[in-house]
Amino acid sequence: MTRRELIAGAGVVVLAGCSSRKTAPRPQMVSIVRAPAYDQSIYDTVRRMLADHRLNVRGRSVVLKPNLVEFEPGSSINTHPMLVHAAYEAFRAMGAASVRIAEGPGHRRNTLDLADAAGYFHTIPGFEDIFTDLNVDDVSPVHLTRQLSRLGKLYLPNTVLGADLLVSMPKMKTHHWVGATLSMKNLFGVVPGGLYGWPKNVLHWAGINESIVDLHSVFPRQFALVDGIVGMDGNGPIQGTAKAAGILVAGSDPAAVDATCCRIMRIDPSKVEYLRLAAEGGAQIADAGIRQTGERIASVATTFALMPAFRAYRIDNS
Amino acid sequence: MAIEFLLNKQNPDGGWPYLHGGSWTEPTVFALLALLAAGETARSKRGIAWILRTRRSDGGWASRPGVGESTWVTALAALIPEESVGQAAHAAAIEWLLPVKGEDTTTLFCLRQWLLGRPNSIDEDNPGWPWTPGAAAWVGPTAMAVVALEGEHKRRPSARVAARAQAGRNYLMAHMCSEGGWNHGGAKSWGYDAPPYPETTGMALLAAGRVRSPGMERALAVGRKFLTETRSADAQNWLRLGLAAQGELPQGYAAPQGIAYRTVPEVALSHITALGGLA
Repeated sequence: MTRRELIAGAGVVVLAGCSSRKTAPRPQMVSIVRAPAYDQSIYDTVRRMLADHRLNVRGRSVVLKPNLVEFEPGSSINTHPMLVHAAYEAFRAMGAASVRIAEGPGHRRNTLDLADAAGYFHTIPGFEDIFTDLNVDDVSPVHLTRQLSRLGKLYLPNTVLGADLLVSMPKMKTHHWVGATLSMKNLFGVVPGGLYGWPKNVLHWAGINESIVDLHSVFPRQFALVDGIVGMDGNGPIQGTAKAAGILVAGSDPAAVDATCCRIMRIDPSKVEYLRLAAEGGAQIADAGIRQTGERIASVATTFALMPAFRAYRIDNS
Repeated sequence: MAIEFLLNKQNPDGGWPYLHGGSWTEPTVFALLALLAAGETARSKRGIAWILRTRRSDGGWASRPGVGESTWVTALAALIPEESVGQAAHAAAIEWLLPVKGEDTTTLFCLRQWLLGRPNSIDEDNPGWPWTPGAAAWVGPTAMAVVALEGEHKRRPSARVAARAQAGRNYLMAHMCSEGGWNHGGAKSWGYDAPPYPETTGMALLAAGRVRSPGMERALAVGRKFLTETRSADAQNWLRLGLAAQGELPQGYAAPQGIAYRTVPEVALSHITALGGLA
């Protein structure tokens, strides 16, 4: 089996960097599951979600990439550690040869202290042994395939470059620069602060939206699992307000997952610039390109407040 | 304990990792400063050899070998005593630092902003330093550059060096959070006040110089508050260094029990702090 056959359920690996497609791509499966609280039921919920997607990770290396941003335990800034632990246990139970948790926070240099304050040490047994600080991991140069941004070449951590499956686990949040931060934007955390600083300002100077798409294209073997149990709206990703959506959203195509999350947040995904750019490269963000399973969007949609600059993104205004 | 930890963490190439893996410039400099302060000469020599070997042709250092540009860590390398690293390497590091500034304060950027009708709140006359050339200036690299230049000015008084260090200090004062203290440098975001961080507040206090103003009093109050609250080793280290530089570290202060010193910079800086700080 080649690496690209890893995600059997998806059938086709979506390469955002591909040129325009000549045939209609197969709709990408995105599942929405209700999860009202961070409690023990999450473990079973995540196991069932991953089983539905028929991921074949037996003997493979899996890297879970949560979103760790600030020292605020109990807030809605960081991906909840219980969800990360549930994913860790589920992938182990599915036969993964190794499962690591890895993150490179964008603002704070003391990653392990941040993880500690966010409850990761308390919730995940042996956390320090299975965690990699991507800000200071060993790196390799990567020439970006899409080149929408001015980045050209990036040095990226070997832990994520060597993974058979990179699982982006963002918090469902609005974002004051790009509208919404979900599984694609979450990959900013793989860019090593040890090389590019805190914040990773080169990504801003190269074009935030373009950098999101370029970075996404580096990792064709992804899965997205979005923490929408309690997200954040308003002035996200840090200073916003907790917003309970009570859901988890998952799929093998991060662009399709993010588009679905936007619809749940009542944001028009076609107006989110990085999703629009990804779609130009062949990613599936239109309704027709997504095979929705589990809850219907209409049954779980809840309006996430937007900063004034993004009010035109509201689905009602489209 | 700290020295033993650092000796165990030294890579065969003479440098140090942050925690595991290959050698990086930042942990190597801090480990070296701790070993030199402890009089550990043999391993220090291997570290110095690594530093000299990884020096780039432009006089600066990359964050780690093999990465193609000199960055903010050159300020850290400039903290290594001249007698250890050699006069030529030290002088070249200072020369590399002097002209570097955030891209947001370049004439070209300011002109472009003006042409686009965007108000530019950046003070062109008081530029800070970026993490990497071509990006904006931030508090962390600016604080380290100011500390390096201040040290150089003390050893070898120079109006040029003093002026650049002062511009950096002005940058820091201009980027203080409204409640006092500093975060990475974004004191405001979309008109909202952003909160300070303990570690960057400590770094900026170390570099800011002993001026007293209402703003600095607020910064000191925030620094003292953070010192009692933070459980982060990195934050404790920088706050102790910063408050000590301001003459505001409580006499006989000891960090709270139970703080985990995990990384090479954390352990090394803790040792350096205990011995009196970054001289």
